[in-house]
Amino acid sequence: MTGALDGIRILEIGDRGEQAGRLLADAGADVIRIEPVEGSYGRRQGPFVGDRPGSERSLHHAYMNANKRGITLDPSTGDGAELWRRLVEGADVVIDSYPPGFLDSIDCGPEVFAPLFIEGRLVWCAITPFGLTGPWKDWEATDLTSIALGGPMMSTGYDDHDLPPIRPDGEHSLWMAGEHAAMGILAALIEREQSGLGQLVDVSVHEAVSVTTEGAFPNWEYKQALVQRQTGRHSSPTITARWQFQGSDGGYVNLMGGGVPRTRGNWKELMDWLNEFNAAADLEDPKYEAAVHSDPMQATVERARISEVIGAFIQTRPSEEVYRRGQSLHLPWAVIRPPEDNLSDPHWEARGFWAKTHIPEHDSEVRFPLGPYKMSATPLELRRRAPLLGEHNTEVYGGELGLEARQLIVLAGQAAI
Amino acid sequence: MPASLPGAGARPLEGIRVVDFSWIVAGPQCTRILADLGADVIRVENESYLDSMRSGMQVYPDRPSYSGSGMFNNMNRNKRSITANVWHPGGRTMVEKLIAQADVVIENFSAGAFERMGFGMEHLKELNPNIIYISISGFGHAGIDTTYITWGPTAQAISGSTFMSGQADLPPAGWGYSYLDHTAGYYGAIGLLMGLFHRSRTGEGQYIDVAQCETGMMMGGIAMLDYQVNGRKYERIGNHSRWPAIAPHNVYRCAGDDRWIAISAETDDQWLALCEVLDADELAADPLFATNLGRVDAQDALDAAIDALTRKWDTRELMYLLQSNGVAAGTAQTTEDKMEHDPQHAAREFYPMAPHSYLGDRRFEGLPMRFSRSKWEVVNGAPGLGEHTHAVMEQLLGYTAEEIAALAAEVAI
Repeated sequence: MTGALDGIRILEIGDRGEQAGRLLADAGADVIRIEPVEGSYGRRQGPFVGDRPGSERSLHHAYMNANKRGITLDPSTGDGAELWRRLVEGADVVIDSYPPGFLDSIDCGPEVFAPLFIEGRLVWCAITPFGLTGPWKDWEATDLTSIALGGPMMSTGYDDHDLPPIRPDGEHSLWMAGEHAAMGILAALIEREQSGLGQLVDVSVHEAVSVTTEGAFPNWEYKQALVQRQTGRHSSPTITARWQFQGSDGGYVNLMGGGVPRTRGNWKELMDWLNEFNAAADLEDPKYEAAVHSDPMQATVERARISEVIGAFIQTRPSEEVYRRGQSLHLPWAVIRPPEDNLSDPHWEARGFWAKTHIPEHDSEVRFPLGPYKMSATPLELRRRAPLLGEHNTEVYGGELGLEARQLIVLAGQAAI
Repeated sequence: MPASLPGAGARPLEGIRVVDFSWIVAGPQCTRILADLGADVIRVENESYLDSMRSGMQVYPDRPSYSGSGMFNNMNRNKRSITANVWHPGGRTMVEKLIAQADVVIENFSAGAFERMGFGMEHLKELNPNIIYISISGFGHAGIDTTYITWGPTAQAISGSTFMSGQADLPPAGWGYSYLDHTAGYYGAIGLLMGLFHRSRTGEGQYIDVAQCETGMMMGGIAMLDYQVNGRKYERIGNHSRWPAIAPHNVYRCAGDDRWIAISAETDDQWLALCEVLDADELAADPLFATNLGRVDAQDALDAAIDALTRKWDTRELMYLLQSNGVAAGTAQTTEDKMEHDPQHAAREFYPMAPHSYLGDRRFEGLPMRFSRSKWEVVNGAPGLGEHTHAVMEQLLGYTAEEIAALAAEVAI
């Protein structure tokens, strides 16, 4: 099979570029994850196989580096810098997520290699917490502080504002930056087909997070209004009705839009469901059916009553049933699943969404997502599990750069690889 | 360091034409990125099947307009708009001529709707053999539950993103907006750019099927592995950090109304720097908190002690002081903070101004990438409904003024 990025060689160095590298590797690029001699941060991050730390036991590493090759390199040693130079000269793309100026400080950064992207074909993408320029460029950042500064946090949390605003778990700031880095790299590669020239792409985590907040932006720019966080639903300048309820099994459901059906046909089906359980209360009154046709943006007494009756009813039903039955009525309802529950939903298997592979130190096959798009001419596929530490040193340094075995031994001895 | 601000050369996607049937947020988010990068994005619209974003969130509620939504303006800047009635033969022919000249067709209707409109992939290929067609839907066009309807929060709930947000002892906090509408747009753009790159090398088009729920699942893969390998079901952690476990790592109250600061200190040096800034000698000396292991084990007591101290601080003042001492800290910024008081955004001109025919000169969200040789830019605000129908039909498709008038009289366009 052919991937869209077959033949594109990408070097990924630093710990904030794993998402971008993974997305491009899934599409067939030859992404080489370059790790320090002692291994990347992600190998120590966990979770670990059997809860036992170890450089080959990190599930973070196993997921974020699937489809990549892996080599070790310390470019701050003399011989390491020379290897880095040769690797960069043979690459289409460098994903550099060290802090601004770090690689330049050891003469291995974009300043030294500028001729390769000014006159040559190299695309150098820097992913940094705040971008390569500006007064905050050297500030410290973690996912927590990035989600705070970029705005998602003040939109997310609970009705009770004595509780702090919330950072959703999952390193989303790095995903947001990685997604935009992938776009920037791809745009540069497309442009390169015309111009024959590469360039520098500067991606800021702070900007990627800041642009991913939706209604908070127009509320301020157009109304000078600030949105307020609310439990399990959209933030808003004014308090809105709840969407999130707990089913009889303890699971939560999301009744997007309050649960008022959109057509008369769906109304009858909804009433049938309520009547099965004697839960229709006063909704048989024709004024409620009439309200279904009112403008959904207009909050009416009838619509509020419908939501109230439905909300009370669905708390007596199991959450998965609410989801399936609500969707059969063409209502955008959902069960609020823990992520692992999707492993047993046959829809994803039927779509061919899962990559299936074995990972080190674990006997059974595991499944995990590949890039979330099905491409008819250039399908994504899992070509290799995440690399062991230095797994491709011999292949890359020996086979591709032509170093002899004795030279690799010397380089290893000085901790350059 | 080469210049890395927009304004350098040409936009990288100039010459790429996109026929855009998308609406609401997920599709328009995708084409917003393409348009910022220079693609000619032509929205195909119809007043009887209007993008509800045009009529919602009116800036001037006393004089509503299809051009009166700030949300729509921000999401659809740089695009053109034509109106067409694809159920009328004349309108359909016009749209098909446009597709024949295009590089990309995009829609984010419910799965199957575009095919029922007569625009399945087979027909699109008849019109244009090298077309790239991309659909963005909740569950994708292939699979079992393809008819299910999602809005952003629906997909967030299914994917696990909602569940993974909030405190362990409370219901899920979820996301305070349609996060996965934006994410679906981002992944749509990534898939599309991959398709365009492949086409630039081979001439081959393709069909790209994006499922919004999968974009959220992509970001939950590590939790899925933890379940399969270790049998561990996901449990919420509030603002703490589990992988790696470091403390302090939380959001603390500051002085003022609903003001907060996020602080994470990974090393002992950062911990001691935090104590010094907070003037907390007793915390620095407490053996319970001397190591990260101790701080993680006593995290609730640690958080309470820090929270008691941050309350007297102005959040920005404390952020600047902590950052100057090497501690990762960030104000939980409101949009006002980001747009009026964030010197980083100001220095990088992240909210550029552009004109709009009805709403006037307004600021827009920038595109989070800078090129040394190419550029992105916001040239114009969102188009009025059908603002470019005549221009596109005359200049691109070769219709005469008389033909256009005749089609308009039949409500074909």
